[in-house]
Amino acid sequence: MGIQFMLAARYLSGRKLRTFLTTLAVIFGVMIIFGLNGMLPAFSQAFRENLLAASGAVDLSVTGVTENVFDATVVDTVGSVDGVAQASGSLRRTITLPAGSAVDAVTVTGLDAAAQTVRPYQLVSGRFLQPGDGNVMVISQHLALQAGLAAGDKLTLPSTSGTTEFDIIGIITTSPLPGVEAVYVPLSAAQQLLNQPDQINTIEAVLAAGADRARVEAEVQARLGSSFKLGGLEVGNELLSNFQLGEFAIDLFGMLAIVMGGFIIFNTFRTIVAERRRDLGMLRAVGATRRTVIGVILTESLLQGVIGTVLGMIAGYGLVIVFLSGVGSIIQQLVRFQIGGPIFTPWAFILSIGSGVGITVLAGLYPAIMAGRVTPIEALRPAVAEVQQRTFNRREIGGVILIGIAVITLLLRNSQLSATGAFLFIVGLILIAPVLIRPIASIFGRLLSVIFAREGQIAQGNLARQPGRAAVTASTMMISLAIIVALLGLLASLYNGLMGGLLDKTLNADFMLMPPSIFLQSGNIGATPELAQQIREAPGVSALTTLRLGTSAANGLPLQVIGIDPATFPIVSGLQFTAGDETQAYADLAAGRAMIINGIFATKNHVGIGDTLSLATAEGTQDYRVVGIGTDLLNAKLDTGYISQANLANDFHQTNDVMMLVRKSPGADAVQVRVALEKIVKGYPAFTLFAFTEWRDLMFNTLNGAMGFFYLLLAALTLPSLIALINTLAINVIERTREIGMIRAVGGTRSQVRRMILAESLLLAAAGTGFGILAGIWLGYSIVNAISIAGIVMPYSFPAAGVLAAIGVGLVFGVLASTIPARQAARLDIIAALHYE
Amino acid sequence: MTIIQTENLTKIYGQGETAVAALHHLNLSVNAGEFVAIMGPSGCGKSTLLHLIGGLDRPTEGRVWLDGHELSKLDDTRLTEMRRRKIGFVFQFFNLIPVLTAVENAALPLILDGVTQSEARATATEWLKRVGLAGQLTHRPDQLSGGQQQRVAIARALVTEPALVMADEPTGNLDSRASDEIAALLRQVSDEWGRAVLMVTHDPRIAAYADRIVFLKDGTIIDETRLSGDGSDEAERLRVKAEAL
Repeated sequence: MGIQFMLAARYLSGRKLRTFLTTLAVIFGVMIIFGLNGMLPAFSQAFRENLLAASGAVDLSVTGVTENVFDATVVDTVGSVDGVAQASGSLRRTITLPAGSAVDAVTVTGLDAAAQTVRPYQLVSGRFLQPGDGNVMVISQHLALQAGLAAGDKLTLPSTSGTTEFDIIGIITTSPLPGVEAVYVPLSAAQQLLNQPDQINTIEAVLAAGADRARVEAEVQARLGSSFKLGGLEVGNELLSNFQLGEFAIDLFGMLAIVMGGFIIFNTFRTIVAERRRDLGMLRAVGATRRTVIGVILTESLLQGVIGTVLGMIAGYGLVIVFLSGVGSIIQQLVRFQIGGPIFTPWAFILSIGSGVGITVLAGLYPAIMAGRVTPIEALRPAVAEVQQRTFNRREIGGVILIGIAVITLLLRNSQLSATGAFLFIVGLILIAPVLIRPIASIFGRLLSVIFAREGQIAQGNLARQPGRAAVTASTMMISLAIIVALLGLLASLYNGLMGGLLDKTLNADFMLMPPSIFLQSGNIGATPELAQQIREAPGVSALTTLRLGTSAANGLPLQVIGIDPATFPIVSGLQFTAGDETQAYADLAAGRAMIINGIFATKNHVGIGDTLSLATAEGTQDYRVVGIGTDLLNAKLDTGYISQANLANDFHQTNDVMMLVRKSPGADAVQVRVALEKIVKGYPAFTLFAFTEWRDLMFNTLNGAMGFFYLLLAALTLPSLIALINTLAINVIERTREIGMIRAVGGTRSQVRRMILAESLLLAAAGTGFGILAGIWLGYSIVNAISIAGIVMPYSFPAAGVLAAIGVGLVFGVLASTIPARQAARLDIIAALHYE
Repeated sequence: MTIIQTENLTKIYGQGETAVAALHHLNLSVNAGEFVAIMGPSGCGKSTLLHLIGGLDRPTEGRVWLDGHELSKLDDTRLTEMRRRKIGFVFQFFNLIPVLTAVENAALPLILDGVTQSEARATATEWLKRVGLAGQLTHRPDQLSGGQQQRVAIARALVTEPALVMADEPTGNLDSRASDEIAALLRQVSDEWGRAVLMVTHDPRIAAYADRIVFLKDGTIIDETRLSGDGSDEAERLRVKAEAL
């Protein structure tokens, strides 16, 4: 290892610019993987904590399987089980507070008289809840500090009847999870606040000394039946799976960056081996084994991998800090829960180190094996810059076959196959790229010779003589530009399809009463039907429809249930149907246990019209018949079923409205209607009144704000292609030092040499850009197609902006990348260059 | 004592109609401590002979013995080991690793052979001093003249105490003064340090430093001349002879 390490370290430090550029590619990829992996868990953690009430350590806790409320008398059933010493019922709910509050959300827990015997509460000041208390509360010390509250102060919470004011009577030491502030009120006050009289959603119990836990649990479960579950509150929310999907997407994104880094390293090492042919031959001649020679190259790539990974992880940490302090706050505004600091899971470390070091070493493997094949005789031969001739061989034929299959998947118009097709197309392009370099150089070369009449020709020839190297560089550029074009295509389609089509179709009321968080499940308290009634009676309002919310599980799969009024919903709002008759579906909803499911749930679980789903409800399992497939904008991504509000009240005991859509009378003055509505909504801080256009603008602006970081990432993803270009050009210059010396010796000027390199750079960039645009359009089309079959229908919009951006990036990078190598080439000393070995 | 012995050594490049015989049933022997120069016109098979004797290439026919070992019977690993321990190479373009110092370059074969760094450096330093580079131990190749670089290469060839030093046009890239110095150094390798030296050269003046000159043409030995080895008086005669070939 000694000699390998010494040589590797010396070669790396001896070629600083190249080492820097190559390592930069690794740093970049690892930065993306590590940084983003530190960021997403922070989001999902914040979300998880927001959902999870701090259930703490109790012997036994009982909740409904749907996490819905149930009758308070169940406490007695649990308490009567032999072995249970004491049981206490509570109604616990996270309430998202209106924007501008000192904290984003509080978890309100209504405690019954037995609460303190089940769980101890440490008082810091004031007193604890006592029987007979009214609207009083005990708050956590953390909240007291956060909001500057003390015993004797008052705290107003949004409630289903508007607002409720509580007197703070005590502060306790409970250390809540970050982002979840705990407040404790008497059970009756909580039931009133949430409009759920005689209902609770959690029972906590302590077991008698020496009781057999397993037996007690079995007994409790037997008495309560299958609609109850034992243990802590489970996080069954599918938003978490969205976060997991996000993590996967980000890993993929980072992996692509690393793969591009791998290409760069591969190119560099392949050139290194060609360049050091004589050194390697000499090593073999003086007695180095093949293994030693392979070891030298592998150690070099390992060193670069390790250095790049360490620096990449440091940069990634910086990235997440910058992100959380910047864009994090925008997202916080939208979802209204507090996002903590970065969280780096072991997985983030494993993935970053594994991919950073792994791909670097892997990229060095083939060149290392090639190095091992260098014969000692190479040391004795004069070095001449190689000219590669690429003809169709197995690799290229494989590429053509893959592209052929990809075209067939496109012609079949099978959406499920199209994503595979796009992937095959890209791999195929990478494989046949070497043979395409010559014709591409020839086509663009003609164009270029208009500007660089003399140098263009030489540049064209230079590019075509190392088609393998040019192809790897073009492939690197292709990947980054393809992603840009594809994602901008997806965005254009999302904007036009979702925000345009779906938003207008499903939320286009005149006025909207929106809850604090657009994730309907996330702590929105809603209002009792009285608010809707008041609005209905307001002057100028012709119709109103509301959305109510329940959680369930269909055939064991988590499902968000939205209660709509089948009579008013189609008039004021609507769903975008992909299957079933719209009118009939609403009629069926009104007639019995029928449900409209959204596309994503239907596709994921292969559910169709006419199927029956067994829903877990507060009333036990109930069968619902699927009568249509449709979605609205807000719930398009979440597994959702729409049922009638009557069924939601009966089966799920939910009667609160979480969102309202209002249509004004045809002749009514919008301003006057708004004034009237504002007056009513004023007493309900949990709701914000919007005119549809306002809300639409707000959504677009928020989306654009959040997209800022996304665009930044996209821009950053182009960086490896710039590094690849610079790297290849620098290598070309080093390799052709003698030729450049010759060109200068026979009368070529410095600026001609510079233009020659610039022309070569532009040709290389043109090849990469051409490939990238082609692959990007295909990839984008496939993604949009795949999303459409998942139930969110949107037509593919051609990414004109993406294509223009790609061409711009190609041109700018072509010029930028040539700067350093061109200057290097132009400054070469003629005599030294002619003698260069 | 014979260090090198070849028997019917034949090397044919290509196949069928394009086949070219670079060496044709060549028999040659070199004794321990002997300095042999090989001369001949371009394409006569000089380099091929060097490659086959050095174990860098395998013959089409015939055999090579190096210090009693028949090379064709050795696998790649044993052959590599043989090169490492029994042969020292000196190349026309010096072939020093540009990122290593003179000592590190000279120590390379020892390090490859598993000798500890400090021991390898000490031996290399010793040899560099013997070839007159005591003041340039930590210089990198780009800080040395051509002649000095070739001295480092000679030191590198000698560190493993090989039985044979093979030099392929060792002065081909040097001016006449440096060439003479290198030729004299190779003479010293043979005389003082007792190694056999097999050198391929075009230059009669350099060949004149050898004990024996083997003239090659079309892959066979056509003449041999024994010399006094001091490099002075016989150069002109050799030049005429080489030109006549």
